Amino acid sequence: MSLIIQQPGNSVVTDLGRFRGPRFGLPVNGALDQFSARAANILAGNGDNAPLLEVTALDFRMQATTDLLIAVTGAPLHLTVGGRECQQWEPVSVRAGETVALRRIDGGLRAYVAVHGSVDAPVLLGSCAPDTVVGFGLRLAEGTELKTNRSVPPIRQPYYDLPLFRLGLTRPEFHSTAVVEVTDGPDVEEFGDTASLLYNTEYTVSGRSNHIGLRLGGALPERQTTAEVLSRGVPVGAIEVPSRDELLVLHRGRGVTAGYPVLAVVTSRSLDVLAQARPGHKITFRKTSVPEATAKHRAALRELEALRSTVGTVFSLLGIGNQPGWQQPVPAAGT
Amino acid sequence: MAATPAQPPVEVFESGDAALRVVASSPDREANWATVHALAAWLDAAGADGVHGAVPTYDSLLVEFDPGVTSARQVRAFVLLGLRQLEFTGVPAREPREFSVPVVYGGEYGPDLVRVAEQQQLTVEEIIQLHTTKSYVIRCLGAPAGSPMMDGPDFPFPVPRLKDPRLSVPAGAVSVAGRQAVIAPAAAPGGWCVIGQTPLTVLDAASEPLVPYVPGDTLRFHQIQPEDFAQYAGRKLEAAR
Repeated sequence: MSLIIQQPGNSVVTDLGRFRGPRFGLPVNGALDQFSARAANILAGNGDNAPLLEVTALDFRMQATTDLLIAVTGAPLHLTVGGRECQQWEPVSVRAGETVALRRIDGGLRAYVAVHGSVDAPVLLGSCAPDTVVGFGLRLAEGTELKTNRSVPPIRQPYYDLPLFRLGLTRPEFHSTAVVEVTDGPDVEEFGDTASLLYNTEYTVSGRSNHIGLRLGGALPERQTTAEVLSRGVPVGAIEVPSRDELLVLHRGRGVTAGYPVLAVVTSRSLDVLAQARPGHKITFRKTSVPEATAKHRAALRELEALRSTVGTVFSLLGIGNQPGWQQPVPAAGT
Repeated sequence: MAATPAQPPVEVFESGDAALRVVASSPDREANWATVHALAAWLDAAGADGVHGAVPTYDSLLVEFDPGVTSARQVRAFVLLGLRQLEFTGVPAREPREFSVPVVYGGEYGPDLVRVAEQQQLTVEEIIQLHTTKSYVIRCLGAPAGSPMMDGPDFPFPVPRLKDPRLSVPAGAVSVAGRQAVIAPAAAPGGWCVIGQTPLTVLDAASEPLVPYVPGDTLRFHQIQPEDFAQYAGRKLEAAR
């Protein structure tokens, strides 16, 4: 049982991240759009943290050697299975020999492909997430064969043109101008009055952005102090002003320690928005509070829980994956 | 909240919805370092629900958590509980291990050695002498990939960083900057002055935990000649005792 990569584009096998990494100096890494990654796994009947494919920006194709059930989430794109057009954000049956194609990723930047039963990937400190600095992880290449763990016979649609599933998840919206919510950083006072520029400026995403951080062009707050900062741990989402050219927003591949003052921190929910920002997209920042940010994060998790329960019901009616314990979420790494 | 006199003074700062920064704020630098590392060890051992882990550096500790399971408020209370706990139990004593690191200085192995000597108004030999004399305490693990961050050798002046950082510094590079010293476990971009290179393998991605040292361990450098590099190459960095 396997998948064979025909056109890798820019794709890796990842999960929600290496949560035990930071204490050893390794970034957490993992799926940049955590909501889409969790949703893909839930729609495929997997635990949230199961290994899945992250496809960034470029077209991607793979062939199934066995009957599979998959789900594709994340940035809007044109999804076909065996030439048939299929829906994102829904479980999709793939028959042995068919090709799954993701084309024209648009509006956002990253798509997620989860396979029922997941795929095998090597693990470091409890996670399969690639780490480019250590040189760890499964980057997909043409001909890469991914072992899959469970076959699902094709689910036949008895009525000709009705969608197979309609699970009612509110899909994230993707815009070329995004509002990103942040809370004040621990060092906001070092920027004096210039800190307010962050909230009054429209920033443009630079092409030099990646999984380590996004670089944003626009009016820059300036540090008003000069004292040397000892290296310290910086959170994912930290906004720094390391140069006179660009704002730096750290994402999940960030180095764990740094010596720049932290102006603001992007909320967990808005990190998903940034994960989908394309070069040239516009970003504005809105200030929020930690309790409000936590409430929004939990609301999103509740929505995913509701989806999990719906998927569970539908799948058990269809006799998919109802082996004992199949619904057990894989524990997050390190817990 | 009011701290009891024996409790190490700390300040806790919000750092987004998934992390807190704890800063030890006593006037004693060594005490601050001991506090944040002891607190990190306590948090790791306690294994509270939703707390991913703690990253201690010099006077600061980043505590990361899952905001779906716990909250900044709960983690803050937990951190303060840890501090009170440490007040009763004291900082657990741990016998530091010592590492001995062979280094080829200068030439292609240490392209910035001459520059550092000029800047310090010392000879190359004096720089090597100062660098190999000291027993370094590993203060924390830094980027990239668990680099051992150490207080630097006793040079007369702080070492300026390179104006144009290198796009790639090889694994094993032995560098200095400011008043700090480090070894690079993995190849990465770098703006520190590279004065030498060790042939030993520092990072082993196949073993856990990836690097053999922990903060508090000590490390000494000793000079080897370029012709000896191959003889050490491929060996792992291991504790001498």
